Amino acid sequence: MLEDELTVSTRERDDVAIIDLFGDVTTFAEEKINSAYREVTNKGARFVLLNFRQNDYINSAGIAILIGIVTEVNRNNQKLAVSGLSQHFQKIFRMVGLAQYAEIYQDEDEALVGFKR
Amino acid sequence: MSTPIYIQTTMELTLPSELGYEVVARDAVAAFACRLCIAPDRLEDLKTALCEVCINAIEHGNSLRPGLRVQIRCRVEVEQLIVEVVDQGVSAFAPKSEPLTIAEKLAGLGSLRGMGLMLISQLCDEAGFVPSADPGNCFRFAFYRQPMVGFRH
Repeated sequence: MLEDELTVSTRERDDVAIIDLFGDVTTFAEEKINSAYREVTNKGARFVLLNFRQNDYINSAGIAILIGIVTEVNRNNQKLAVSGLSQHFQKIFRMVGLAQYAEIYQDEDEALVGFKR
Repeated sequence: MSTPIYIQTTMELTLPSELGYEVVARDAVAAFACRLCIAPDRLEDLKTALCEVCINAIEHGNSLRPGLRVQIRCRVEVEQLIVEVVDQGVSAFAPKSEPLTIAEKLAGLGSLRGMGLMLISQLCDEAGFVPSADPGNCFRFAFYRQPMVGFRH
């Protein structure tokens, strides 16, 4: 299999747990994304931002991973948002219904303001 | 008077039936489509749709069986770009029912996967399985082209 590179890292800013996703979000991303989500949740995160960066490729398997994150966010009474998506992938997120469960922001700064509203 | 532009109107690719190779197909077909007056936003739609069709061929039609191939045939017509993706037909792939909505998936009513066909149908101007002389499943989709001055087949 051709495994695409995805780098996932976590950090905190203004009481928001930020999960940075650099690269392609496909079936190969599952363990990295779920692990990062578990990490921030175990630290008590209430607000979780998936910050997409240089994501040239997000496919339906990657979207399924994100739907799984939404399931966990709902179960844990957290609030989820996404930022950094291209216009195309913002459209894709709306098409599949993810935008109903995670507010879409243009960038990280806008998302941090949005969490406080 | 503008100079006529002569371009190739067909392209065929054969890929290993392994996840990840859909990106190779995406980049090749996108480069082909770039020459054919597909609008930039539609080009992104084409790339996503092609990847989803290839993933279906790899995962379903070829059942993730190693050593098989996926064939991609692109054809330019006056008004549209047509792409056919053919697997080797390990299993017949046709959706049995409407895909679950995200709300149904979140309620645990089925797999979190299965958004591909819905995306394809929304992104393409035409899409669906078609009969084929090949033994495998053949999925055809089309994107309408913008007018191009001086275009010649």
